[in-house]
Amino acid sequence: MIRVENIEKCFGDNNEIHVLKGIDEVIEKGERVVIIGPSGSGKSTFLRCLNLMEQPTKGKVFFEGKEITDPKVNINEVRQKIGMVFQHFNLFPHLTVLQNITLAPVKLKRMTKEEAEREALRLLEMVGLADRSDAYPSQLSGGQKQRIAIVRALCMKPDVMLFDEPTSALDPEMVGEVLDVMKNLADDGMTMVVVTHEMGFAREVANRILFMDDGKITEQGTPDEIFGNPKNERTKEFLSKVL
Amino acid sequence: MEWLNKWFDRLYRTFIVDDRYKTLISGLEKTLIITLGALLIGVIIGTIIAIIKVFAADNKKLRPLDVLCNIYLTVIRGTPVVVQLLISFFIIFVWAKDGTWVATVTFGINSGAYVAEVIRSGIMAIDAGQMEAGRSLGLSKIQTMKEIILPQAFKNVLPAIGNEMIALLKETSVAGYVAVTDLTKAANQIKNTTYDSINPILLTAIVYLAIVMLLTKLLSIMERRLRKSDKS
Repeated sequence: MIRVENIEKCFGDNNEIHVLKGIDEVIEKGERVVIIGPSGSGKSTFLRCLNLMEQPTKGKVFFEGKEITDPKVNINEVRQKIGMVFQHFNLFPHLTVLQNITLAPVKLKRMTKEEAEREALRLLEMVGLADRSDAYPSQLSGGQKQRIAIVRALCMKPDVMLFDEPTSALDPEMVGEVLDVMKNLADDGMTMVVVTHEMGFAREVANRILFMDDGKITEQGTPDEIFGNPKNERTKEFLSKVL
Repeated sequence: MEWLNKWFDRLYRTFIVDDRYKTLISGLEKTLIITLGALLIGVIIGTIIAIIKVFAADNKKLRPLDVLCNIYLTVIRGTPVVVQLLISFFIIFVWAKDGTWVATVTFGINSGAYVAEVIRSGIMAIDAGQMEAGRSLGLSKIQTMKEIILPQAFKNVLPAIGNEMIALLKETSVAGYVAVTDLTKAANQIKNTTYDSINPILLTAIVYLAIVMLLTKLLSIMERRLRKSDKS
């Protein structure tokens, strides 16, 4: 579903900050890939390259067989199929919950207003927030905001969902409600790529874990392999600190 | 009470005789038309310039447009508005008989330069995550700007736009330079006809002041309403 070929990413005016140092990876349909690793290892940058929120400095990204790093590709159309959830929710504060969710599907003519609202309410029901459809984001807790952000992405009926540290900005007691929504999503067969520090979630939900360090994927495997028997020294060191 | 009677008599002769107050009313009308028209033009120009400047910051193809915008901003902010009025009326729109629309357009173009900076700073104040969220859903840069960034930016800069309107209202008092009988010019005409140099001018000042106070009040009400959906 997603394939990246030797992508590199540099930041800075003269590309002096080398964040991704050559990554090749394939993510299949239905996979639940969790990316872990120390801060600054390039996890988020890698995730953001998958929908070109960051343009890779080198290398190619393919989505459903099409090279999306090709400048001729309409990236907006591609992104309609790739949902993304951010650390800081990024809900639109001037719109109600319902408007937040229905804005994109309606403006992009994927659904009529009525269809979008019906779908939004169905999804809100699913995450237990149907009664907050008329609230503004400022009236919601962090956990509620993130569940709304997930619904907003889902309402576009994406083929894959990217999660960029979705629980890192939450109070500890609200982490669970967001992870529960993500677990349900995984159970429904959604293809997911998740950057997280929630090792319990990774172990339970992932079918593959990527460990990133210094701009590269240095180890990968099933949760049992990574957590039970890590091979790489750096992975061992990281896991001993976080577990 | 002798002086009071005298003063009322004076007011009567200055404003009522020959329906001279009607000149003032039509002058006030012109002042308001020019102010509102110019504000509208200014906000439209200012928004366009602000968007070009924001987009040009990370899109090299827009650099030529950005340069044009900078020339506009420099020229407009570097010359007095009276001179701009004179240029409009006597050099550019030489065929114009009625100065009102010339003044409206000129004040609008002038105001646009100031509004542009206000709106640009309003756009820059919006968290980058808002643009990212819009783009991640598949909205284009322009759609995200229109649906998500601008509504929030406008709300943030509304007080500044209100101040621009207040400044504009007062600035239009020089419209008399180009054959517009605005409020100030009307007062001046009455002064010249009646040799009463005190009352017409003072009344004009009071009218400007009253409008400004009214605008200030309306603005604070509007701000309070908009705050409803603000971040806590």
